[in-house]
Formats: sequence, C-alpha cells, structure tokens
Amino acid sequence: MRFPRFQTSLAAVALAALAPGAFAAGLGDPASEVVLTVTGEIATTNRDDAAVFDLDMLTSMDTVTYETETIWTDGVQTFTGVLLSDLMDRLGAEGSSLSAMAINDYAVEIPSSDWVETGPIIAYHQNGAPMSVRDKGPLWIIYPYDDNDAYQSEVIYSRSIWQLDRIKVLE
Amino acid sequence: MTPPLGLAPDRAREKRRTRFRTGSAVAAFVLCAALVAGMALFILREIDQLSRANSDNVQWSLSQADVEFARFQLAIAQADGETGDLSRIRRRFNIFYSRISTLDRGMVYQDVRDDPEFTQHLENVTAFLDRAVDVIDAPDAELTQALPRLGAEASTVLADVRSMSLAGLFGFAEASDARRAGLVGTLAALAVVLGLIFGGLILFAYLLSRLHRLAESRADDVVNASERTRMIVGAAPDAIVVTNRAGAILDFNPEAEALFGCPAREAIGAEVVSNLFPEESRSDLISGPLSCLRSNDIPGAMARHFETVAVDRNGRRFAAELSVAAEPNGTRLVLFLRDISDRKEAETNLTIARDRALAGERAKAEFLAIMSHEMRTPLNGLLGSMQLLRDHSLNERQTDLLDRMEGSGRLLLGLVDDVLDLSKFEAGKMEATRQNFRVSGVLDGVVETAAPLAEANGNTLSWHWLGQQHDAAVGDARRLRQVLLNLVGNAIKFTKGGEVEIEVECLPDGESLEFRVTDTGIGIKEEDLSRIFNDFETLDSTYARQAGGTGLGLGIAKRLTSLMGGEIGAESEFGDGSLFWLRIPIAAAGPVSVQPLFEFNQLVAPRRKLDLLLVEDNEMNRFVARQMLEADGHRVVEAVDGQAGVEWANNRAFDAILMDISMPVMDGIEATRRIRAGSGPSADCPIIAVTAHALPEEVEEFSAAGMTTTVSKPLDRAALLSVLAVITEGATPLSAPSHSGSPDTRLDGHQLSTLLAGLPSGERDEILARFLVETDETIQSIVSDDLPRDALQAQVHACAGNCGTFGASGLRAALAEIETMLKRGEDIAPERLAALAPLWQETRMQISDLSRD
Repeated sequence: MRFPRFQTSLAAVALAALAPGAFAAGLGDPASEVVLTVTGEIATTNRDDAAVFDLDMLTSMDTVTYETETIWTDGVQTFTGVLLSDLMDRLGAEGSSLSAMAINDYAVEIPSSDWVETGPIIAYHQNGAPMSVRDKGPLWIIYPYDDNDAYQSEVIYSRSIWQLDRIKVLE
Repeated sequence: MTPPLGLAPDRAREKRRTRFRTGSAVAAFVLCAALVAGMALFILREIDQLSRANSDNVQWSLSQADVEFARFQLAIAQADGETGDLSRIRRRFNIFYSRISTLDRGMVYQDVRDDPEFTQHLENVTAFLDRAVDVIDAPDAELTQALPRLGAEASTVLADVRSMSLAGLFGFAEASDARRAGLVGTLAALAVVLGLIFGGLILFAYLLSRLHRLAESRADDVVNASERTRMIVGAAPDAIVVTNRAGAILDFNPEAEALFGCPAREAIGAEVVSNLFPEESRSDLISGPLSCLRSNDIPGAMARHFETVAVDRNGRRFAAELSVAAEPNGTRLVLFLRDISDRKEAETNLTIARDRALAGERAKAEFLAIMSHEMRTPLNGLLGSMQLLRDHSLNERQTDLLDRMEGSGRLLLGLVDDVLDLSKFEAGKMEATRQNFRVSGVLDGVVETAAPLAEANGNTLSWHWLGQQHDAAVGDARRLRQVLLNLVGNAIKFTKGGEVEIEVECLPDGESLEFRVTDTGIGIKEEDLSRIFNDFETLDSTYARQAGGTGLGLGIAKRLTSLMGGEIGAESEFGDGSLFWLRIPIAAAGPVSVQPLFEFNQLVAPRRKLDLLLVEDNEMNRFVARQMLEADGHRVVEAVDGQAGVEWANNRAFDAILMDISMPVMDGIEATRRIRAGSGPSADCPIIAVTAHALPEEVEEFSAAGMTTTVSKPLDRAALLSVLAVITEGATPLSAPSHSGSPDTRLDGHQLSTLLAGLPSGERDEILARFLVETDETIQSIVSDDLPRDALQAQVHACAGNCGTFGASGLRAALAEIETMLKRGEDIAPERLAALAPLWQETRMQISDLSRD
C-alpha cells in the first residue's frame, strides 16, 4: 500500500486491502470487455504474448487519486486510477519506454523515466464516475500537473493520451 | 609628521570632489543593481510562464477534428448493414464527439473560442452532435434505418467543421503572433536594460579609474609633504625632537645633533626628559610643558617659549627655550629647542648697564642737591652779613656797593633754587608764570648784574633794540632773566677783552621777541654746537677748563625756554665768537602795567610788634630765635614741646606761631592739628613750620596738617622777619621759602657770626660757653657710653640741632647721617661714632678761634 506524497493525493482511496489475492500468481482473465492491451517487453501475460485488462481488473489494483486542473477541462478535476509505474512493475516491464496508443490511433512514447511513484496514472474515473469514449474514456493517462510545474509542458501534455486502449513496452 | 602647510583649502575641495565621485559611483552601482534585479525578476517570471506550457498542440487538435469527422462520414458511407459497421460508426462518432467537447470546454481553447466566427461554427457542430447522439444511441435497427439521413446531415455539417477548424487555426496563429511579439518586446526590453547596465558599468569603471588616479596623486602628495617636512626639519635653525607619548625620541634633527652633541641614531629611542635635561629642570618640565608625558591627558594648548636649562652629552648646561607642539590626536610631541645662553648673557649685560645708568641718574640728582646746598650755605652767609652791615653807618658809595652785592647774592640764590627745581622739570610740575613786565627792565637788570663779571674779564657789555621797540611783554620775567643771565654769563666767561652784546628784536609775527647774545670770544667748534644744550655737557680741553661749572646752565636755559614756549639756539665761528639766540612768544599786544621785579634794597619786616608763640624743644634754638625776634621788638612766648604749645594756643591769642616739627611728647604736625581742631583764641592764627628737612612731600604734609608756611633751619633773620611780614600783613615775599642747607665743611663761620652778631654781647659768651660744654658732654656720651638706640637717637638729634645753630656744619652732617640710620633701623658701626670725637675737637678749635676775633 502506498500514499502519494502530494497534497492532492491525500484523497487516495485504499482498495488494496480488499483486493483478492488471486493476482499474486497471475493476472487472471478479463471477465468483460477488454479496455487495455499491453504488449512488448513484459514478463507477465494472460493472453498469448499480451496482458489484457478489463475495467474490473484495473480497479482491483492499488489506486491513486489526483486532484488537478487540466488544459482540456474546465475547473479542478478528480482523477482516480492505477499508477503507470505500478502497472509496469506488475507486468515486469523491462523496457526503456512504452508506446501508448488511443482508439483513434493517436500514439505517443512515454519514457521509463516517467514511470515513478509521483508520476502519471492510468485514470479510469473522472470525478468519481467511469469515463465514456465521448468523455475521453475509458482510460486517460493523467500527470499531477498542479503538483509539479515540470509536468506543465507541451511534451507532457502530448503524453497525456486519452481514449487509451493499447500499450506496447519498447526495448 | 605634520601635513604640509597651506594645503588645507585644496584638501577640503579635493575631499568634496572625492565624496561626490564616490557618491556617483555608488548611485550608478545601485541603479545597475536595481535594473539587474528588476530585469531578473521580469525574466524569471517570463521563464516561469514559458516553462509551463498552457497549450497543447492546438493546430493538431483542430485539424484532427477535421480528420475524425471525415472518418465518421467514411464509416457511414461504408456501412452495408453489418453489425460491425454500426459499432465502428458509433466509435467514430464518439471520438469526434470527444474532440468537439474538448474544443468546447477545454481551457487551452479559450483564446480560440473568443473568436465569434469559430464559436458560431462550433455551435453548429455541437447542435448536429446533440441531434445525432439520440440516433447513435438508438438500437441498431433504428440506427441502420437512420444512416442515410445521418450521412446527409453530416455532409451539411462538414462545411461548419471545416470552417471551425480553419477559424481556430487562424485565431491561434494570431495569438501565437501576439505571444511572439510579446517575447520580442521582452527581449528588446532586456536588450535595453543590458545596454543600460553596460553603460553603467562603463561609468563605474571610469569613476573607479578616476578614484584610482586620485588615490595615486594623494599618495604622491603625502610623499612630497613628508619630504618637505623632512627638509624643513633638517634645515630648521632650532633643534627639533619628536617623541611619542611615553617620551621616547622618534626623530632628532641635525640641529639637535649639533646642540646636544649626540648623533640621531643614538638619541632615537632614548627618553627625552632624562637625557636632554639636567635633574633640576625635570620637575618644572614634567609639571609644565611636558606634563602630558606623565599623565593620560591629551595635550591641549601647548607651551611656547618656555625657558629652561638643557644639558648636552658632555654635561654642558645651557639656557634653552622650549616650545612644544602635539599632533592633534596627541600621539606625538614635537619639541623645539633653542640655545638662548647668548641672549641670556646679553640680557644680563643689559640689566647691568641699565642699573649703572640708573645709578648714574641717581648720582646726578645727588650731585645737584649737594651742589645747591653747597652754594646756598655760603650765600646765606653773605646775605646775612650784608644785612648786618646795613645796621652800621655807611657812606653813599658803600651803600651802593652793598646794594649791588645783595642784588647779585639774591640773584645767585634764585639760580640755586632754580637748579633745585630741575627735578620739578623732570616731573613736569614746573609752570611758567604770566606777568606783565618791561623788556628793558629785564635787560637793564641783566646788564647791571653781569657788569662786574664783564669788567673783571675786560669785556664791554651792552644791550640795544634792533628795529621797532616793543617794551611791553607778558610772560615769566624771572625765567627770561635767568636764561639771559646764563647766556650773558657764558659769553663773558669765554671772552677776554672783547665785546658782549645783547640785541633784542620784535619778530615780524608781532608775538615773539628774539634775543641775541653775541660775543667776540673763543667760539665753539661746529661739531660741538649740537651738544652744548645737553645736561652736564662741558666741552673738553680749553673750553671746559676755562668754563668750569656744572655744565647745567645751557640745559636749564633750554628747558626754561621751552617752558616759556620758545626756542633757543647757537651759531659760532670757532675762534671768532658765538651767537646765542632766544625766540620767545612774549610780546604783549598793548601797553602793560608793570610791577617792579625785585626790591633788592628793601628788607621786608613786620611794621607792628607781634605777639608770637615759639614752640621748640631745643633750648639753644629757642634762645637764638627769641633773641632774633626780640631784637626786632616782638614779644615771644616759649613752649618746650607740642603739648605745651597746644595749651598756650588754646588760652591766648597770638599773631603767629613758630612750630618746630620734631619734638618729644608731641610733634609739631600733631600740635598743629590740635590747635586747628580746637576752638581756642589762636585756632586760626598763622603757623610757621620751622624745619631742617623741608622736602617737598613733607611740606605737603605740613600744609595738610594746617600749617601756613615753612622756614628753614638754621633760621635766617631776614627770611624769618620776611615770612612774618607776609603772613601777618600780606607783604610780597622776597623769595620762595628757603631750603635747608646741610654743609659738610667743618664750620660755617658766617652762620656762627650771624648768630653771635644777632645776640646782645652779654649773652653771647655765655651761650657759646654753654654750647661748647653741652656738646663736649654729649659727644663724650655718644662715643663712650653704650647707649640704647632710642636714647642715642635723642642725643644725636639734640646735638645736631645745636650744631646747626652754631654753624658746626661738619659735625651736624655727621650726626644727621647717624640719626637717619637710626631712624631706618640700620646698624651703626662703632667707628662711625668714634669718629665724632676728633671732628668735634677740630670744630671746637675753629669756633674758639672765631669767637676770639
């Protein structure tokens, strides 16, 4: 269990205690629609060479909540999701970067230096509710922009990919 | 060392300029710093802003809306009734929906949304989406059915989507331009600030270089000043010693080396007081000019010209003058020393010379007094004898001769008195009288007086007017006569068998008369002419030997002339004679009434018989006075001291009182005061002081006590009667009250003769015998008995009085001297007393010889 050190993260909801220990050995199989497919240099898979997740599998992982403004929204938003670094750890990712792709085939590279505990999350809730495709859902990579001025740059904004559905970990 | 002199104003200006420069530099620096700080703040804010990108790749998002709409349309167009097609249509719609909602709500697109054209198109697109969303979310069958309509509608919206993204792109481009322009402005401001800073730095560097140059020139000044100071100290005529506060010598100039015989390298470091000054000087120095060496006081006003004694290395002590100066903070003292032993010696010599000169002055005064006394005594004798001679029967020729003799005698007496008045000249107390007189009267008198002398030298003597006669004059005839007599007397003295002529002329101004005395005598050398009017000036060689005399005559003449407001001078041809001229402003404006000058032939005496009180302790004097007065028919009452005199005066009316001064019981001054203070019948009667000591200040004292006038002892019968006549009847006096004489010839034969002649023959031998016996005893007592001082003084005083009366002048003088010493409390040597005995024996023999004649 981990708490982000940032003030905006004090609202982090600890769900890990409730999580079933089933994932300890494997990822399990998605029970509903797959929302995220991870391929590439990963050690843990659950379908062929890929790791696939439905929304429940993601929500059952450790969660982190950021309160921040974004340049694409109006006002302070609350985003809840899984730390990218947690996910990469979980999958035993060994790469130097990853390529994230959206439903509309937008693609961007996120270097492994961004996979940090105070870094980006794969958000699945905005303001406590799941996000539809029309609301840039179901998954959106969110950085804690307000907590760290360094994240208020065009490069970071370009990495904040919405409508995320695929990740490929690069060597 | 001290700063160079005379640079103070420059330094002040320099200081101000430096302060101004420093101020400018500081101001420039502060300005630069402020600019840099301001700029830094500004740039940091810019950096901060730039570091936070508040824009995504907007162009991409806008054009992506185009692309995503096109994909949505393509999905509709490609639908051929399969389920997968519908799902693809829905996803494409959702993606486009998401894009538009982002454009509609995202902060980053706020600038774009401000463009009304963009907003218009956006609203159209949103309206389409709102309409389409129900269809998209409807069941597959309805959607399939609605697809053709949806496609048609989408075609109509395509233009809006296109226009919207173009408008957005254009607006964004404008915002971008504005941002770039802002950045350019910022950079330009930065450039300006950098320029200013650069300029400021150049100014700063310039000022620093000026300051540097200034500091260098200051350093040069300091070096020059110290060089100069070193030069001054080295060349100074005084020894200069610099010490610290503890007295250790820091600097020792060459003059100091010479003065103290000690090289500087050995002197430096030594203690100043104990090495340069002897033991006896040190305490004065420590408590005086060098006090700050032994105390913590900051030296204040320093001593100048302090005189002390210094000692050199060889132990030579010398008088030194010390001046001390201190640096303003008192860390160093500068001692200026000068050897003043030469000056001291000169001062001592001057003092000795002055003392000698003063002694000479005193000797001169004493000489004058002695001379006049010497002359007065024989004169008195002559005059007294002539008075007595008139009592005998004389023929006409004899009377005429006697008149001349008496006239000359009185003139001579007047001259002596004038000489005695010399002291009054010096004190400025003598004044010329102003009386009417006739010039011819004075000149007749002069010629008459000098005629016998002229005759004796074989000279002719005459006077005459030159030009208009002007006989009436106003002035001091007596002084004029004295001056003329002096000039004429000189002319006669230095002329043998020649002519002496007096010429008188009224000068053109009508106020002054010029008298010219010419002679055909030996004349005066040119170089001596200027000296002859000096006091005591007797020309050397033949002149002096021929002239004799005191050398005072012309000096007095000159004084008298200037007293009368005139001038005197001389011209001479050596060997051919001299001319003395006298110019005096005495010519009277009109005719004057003239009193006769002197009544030589008339003795003044009281016309009536007087009642007189004689207060006198000395029996001999009482006897003499009584005889003199009774011989003239007056009545005399005697009192033996002041006390008795006061009692008589309080009980009886007298016409006059003769008062001795020095008496036992009560002296004459006190007695006079009491008589005047009392209300007796004689309280207002004239009182005549009879004294041998008529000094001017004493006469004042007598006068203050109430005495009317003074006569001198020994008594002169004529003078006494004359004074009585004046004070009882207002007669004109013959001469000023006469002065006492103190002759030191053994015996004043005339005095004795006068005394004896004035006494009845029966009394004469008796009184003389008494005098001899009394004096024998008294001298015996004074010489042999060891008398106490007061008894001795009484004896001496009494005996001196008797001697005076009987003309024993030598003994009287010796006794008077002893009396004076006794009064002053001085010791009397026994030899002095012993010497009285032989003196008396000699005098006694002379008296015996005289009285036998």
